[in-house]
Amino acid sequence: MSTLRKPSVFVPAVLFALLLALPGVASEYVIHLSVLVLMYAYLATAWNILGGYAGQHSLGHSLFLGVGAYTSTFLFVQMGVTPWLGMWLGAILAGVVGWFVGYLCFRYGIKGPYFALVTIALAEAAVYITSNASFIGGARGLEVTWLGSRPDLMQFNSKSGYYYIILVMTALAIILTKWCSQRGFGFRLVAVRENEDAAEALGVNTLRTKIQASVLSAALTALGGSFFAQYFTYIGPKNVFGEVPSVQILLFAIIGGLGTVWGPALGALILVPVAELARGWLGGSFSGAHLLLYGTVLVVVMLFMPKGIIGLLGRIRLRPVRRRQARVEDDVT
Amino acid sequence: MIFSTTLLAQALVSGTLIGGVFALIAVGLTLIWGVMRIINFAHGEFLMIGMYIAYFLVATGHWNPYLTIFVTVPALFLFGVVIFRTIIHPILKYPAMNQIMLTLGLSLILQNLALVIFKADVLTVQTPYSRLTIPLGEVIVRVPQAIAFAGSGVAAVVLWLFLQRTDTGRAIRAASQNRDAAMLMGIDVERTFLLAFGIGSACLGVAASLMVPFYYTSPTVGLFFGLIAFVVVVLGGMGNFLGALVAGLIIGLTEAVGAALLPGTLARVLTFGIFTLALLFRPQGIFGGRQQ
Amino acid sequence: MSLLEISRLTKHFGGLTAVNDLSFSLDQGEILGLIGPNGAGKTTVFNLVSGFIPPSSGTVTFDGRSVTNLRPHQICQLGLTRTFQVVQPFPDMTVLENVMIGAFVRHGRPAEAENKAREVLKRVALDHKAATPGRSLTLLELKRLEIGKALATEPRLLLLDEVASGLNMVEVEDVLALVRQLNREGITFLIVEHVMKVIMSLCRRIIVLDFGKKIGEGTPQHVSRDQAVLEAYLGEEEYLA
Repeated sequence: MSTLRKPSVFVPAVLFALLLALPGVASEYVIHLSVLVLMYAYLATAWNILGGYAGQHSLGHSLFLGVGAYTSTFLFVQMGVTPWLGMWLGAILAGVVGWFVGYLCFRYGIKGPYFALVTIALAEAAVYITSNASFIGGARGLEVTWLGSRPDLMQFNSKSGYYYIILVMTALAIILTKWCSQRGFGFRLVAVRENEDAAEALGVNTLRTKIQASVLSAALTALGGSFFAQYFTYIGPKNVFGEVPSVQILLFAIIGGLGTVWGPALGALILVPVAELARGWLGGSFSGAHLLLYGTVLVVVMLFMPKGIIGLLGRIRLRPVRRRQARVEDDVT
Repeated sequence: MIFSTTLLAQALVSGTLIGGVFALIAVGLTLIWGVMRIINFAHGEFLMIGMYIAYFLVATGHWNPYLTIFVTVPALFLFGVVIFRTIIHPILKYPAMNQIMLTLGLSLILQNLALVIFKADVLTVQTPYSRLTIPLGEVIVRVPQAIAFAGSGVAAVVLWLFLQRTDTGRAIRAASQNRDAAMLMGIDVERTFLLAFGIGSACLGVAASLMVPFYYTSPTVGLFFGLIAFVVVVLGGMGNFLGALVAGLIIGLTEAVGAALLPGTLARVLTFGIFTLALLFRPQGIFGGRQQ
Repeated sequence: MSLLEISRLTKHFGGLTAVNDLSFSLDQGEILGLIGPNGAGKTTVFNLVSGFIPPSSGTVTFDGRSVTNLRPHQICQLGLTRTFQVVQPFPDMTVLENVMIGAFVRHGRPAEAENKAREVLKRVALDHKAATPGRSLTLLELKRLEIGKALATEPRLLLLDEVASGLNMVEVEDVLALVRQLNREGITFLIVEHVMKVIMSLCRRIIVLDFGKKIGEGTPQHVSRDQAVLEAYLGEEEYLA
C-alpha cells in the first residue's frame, strides 16, 4: 500500500487539513480555545518523550518552558531579536540545561520520586532566581512589546496567525514522536523505561539514552515556551516556571496515555476545553476551578484508569508491581 | 550584603527555632515516606488543613492556640486514615509514579478547595503570645517560635519512644522493613500502615497548632512546607528520625542565614541547592538512613 | 590466548567478601560451568564480569582487552552478553520487540534489527509468539526469550545464569539441546547452574566456588569426587547425582 493510503498516515493528514480550515469557519473564541488545546498538546507531547517513553517523570518541566519563554522574550525586548530566531536560541539553551539536569541526575542514579523531587526543586529555584533578577524583570516579569501586526516578529492581530503556527508545531512534534518510536532511539527509550538493567545488559547505553531524551524534551518544550510568551504577551516567574504549567503538561500526557504518540494530544483535547469551561463558568468567584478539576481528574484516573484513556481503548493492562523489584545489586549470591 | 554579627546571631537563633518546626513537619513524612515508602505529595496540604482548623478555633472560638492540639491532632489523624483507606491504599500495588501523581492530584484538590471556601486571604491571628519576646544578649527570641521549637522537640521524642517502645511502633517498623516477614509473624500489615499514615499526618496537627501564633494561614501555605519536608527527609536519611531532626535544623539555619546574607528571596535557592547536592553525592543522608 | 581471563578478582560488600581472589580462564569454544552452594558468589562473579558492579580488585580481560571497569553496555558491544537468573523481559513490549533491543547492537536500522530478531526467534522456537507481550509468557518461554535477547546481540561469550532453574526435565533437555547447538556454531559459554544434570552433561570443565573462593576445578568426574567440593555441598547431597 502506498504510504499515503495507509490509515495511519491518511487519517492524520485529513485531520490536519480540516484543522487548517478551522479559522475560516470558527469564531475568535473557538480559535483561542484551539490554540490552547494545541499548545498544551504540543507541550505534553514534548514532555512525553522524557516522561512517557523514557519513563523519567519530570515534575518540573516548567523549567524548560521558562527558559524558552524568557530567552526569546528577553532577546526581543532588549535587543530586538525576532522571536523566530530567539526561540531557537532558547531551545539550545534549554537543551543545555536539559543535558545538565539529565547528566547530574542519571549519572548519579537519581530516579523515580527522587528525580521528580529534583525537577520540582530546580523549577522552584528558577522561580526564585528570576524573581530576584531585575534585568529580566524580576517578580514583575516581562511584557512582549506590542508592535501591532508583525508576522516577522511573531505578532498577529488576530488569533489565527498564532493558530497556524501552533498547529504546525504540534503536528511536527507528533510526527517526530512517531518517527522516533519506530527507530532504534524509540526502542531504547522504552527498553530503559521497562527494564533498565536488562537494557544495559543488551548493549543499550542507558545513561546516554536518558540524557538524549532529556535534551530533546527540554529543547522542544522551550520552543513551546517561546510560543507561550508570544501568545500571552506576558511572562512572569510564577506563570512560566511555576507548579501549574508543570502539572498541566504532565497531566495531559498521563490522562491521554503515557508513552503513546497520540496520548498527550488526546489528553489536552479532552481536558483543556473542559477546564476552560469550568474557568469561565466559575471564573470570577473562583480562579482555581480548573486546577480543582485537574486534581480530581488525576486522582480518578490514577485510581481507575492508570494507563490513561488510550489504555482504556487498547488492551493494555497495568501489571501490579512488587514494590521492590529484584535489582542486580540485590543478588549477592 | 550587610554583614553584622548581631544579624548573623539573630539568624542563627531564628533559624534554629524554625528548624525545629521543619523537623516536626518532616518527622511525620519520615514515618510515611522514609519508613513506609509511601509518597504523599499532599503532606503540605494536610498541614494547611491543620492550620485552618487551629486558626478558626483561635480567631473565632478564642481558644488558646496550644490547646487546639487536642482538636488538630485527632482531626488530622482521622483525615489521614480516611485518605489512606480510600485512595492511597488501592494505589500501593502500582508503581511509585502512580502514588506521586495521585497525591499530586490530591494536593491540587485540597489547595483549591481551600481557595474556594476560604478565598486567597492570608490569615493571621494575634494571641497573647504572638508579640512576646525574650532578649538573649543582642538577640531576640520570639516566644511563639521558641514554644514551637520546644513543642516540636517533645513531639519528636514522643514519636520516637512510640516507635521504639510500643508494640504498635515496632510493628510499624517491622512492616516497613519487610512486609512479607511481618505478615508471616502475624502483624496485620494493612492496619499497621493505616495507623502509621494516620500518625504521620497527626504530627502535622501538632505543627499546625504550634505555628498558628506566628505564621500565616492560606491555601498555598502547604506548598512550601511540603517541599521542605521532602528536602529534610532526604537530607536526614530516609527513615532516620534523628537525621530528620538534625536536617530540619540545618535547613532552618540555611533559610534564616541565607535570608540574612543573600539579597531578596535567594535563600530558597540555597536550600534547593543543598537538597540537590545531597541527592547527588550523599543520597543516604547525613546519617545514612536505609538505602534507597 | 584465552577468550576470557579472570585474574585475582575480589569483591567486598562492606564487611562481606563475596568473591575472593578468584582466577580462571576460558577458551574459545568451551562450555565452562561455575557451581557452588547458595551464597558462594556465583552471580556476583557474573555481575563483576558483565560490568554491573565494579570489582574491589583484580581484572577481567575479554579477548585480550581489559574490560574491568567498563559499563555493561560496552561489554555487551564487545561480544560478552549475560542473561539474568530472574528473567528480565521488557513486559510491555512484544517478544519480537524484546529481541530487537538486543539486535540493535549490531544492526542500527529497525528493518535489519527486525529481520535479525525474527531469525533469532526461530532459533529459540518463539517465532509463533512474536506478537505476544513479554508479560504473557510461560516460564520456559521467558527463559527462551532471555536467551533469544542475548543471542540477538551476536555474542562471542554468553553468560547463562541458572537458565535451567524452574524447568522440568523435558524443558531442561530443550535448553541443553539449544546450548549445544549454539556452542557448535561457535559461541562460548560460561554457565552458572544448580541443576547438576545440566552441568555434568554440558561442561567439560567446571569451577567450584564456596564463600567466594575457588575450591575446585576440573572435569565433572574429577570435581564430583573432590573432597573439598563434597564437604562444601554437605547437606546438599541431592544436587550431586
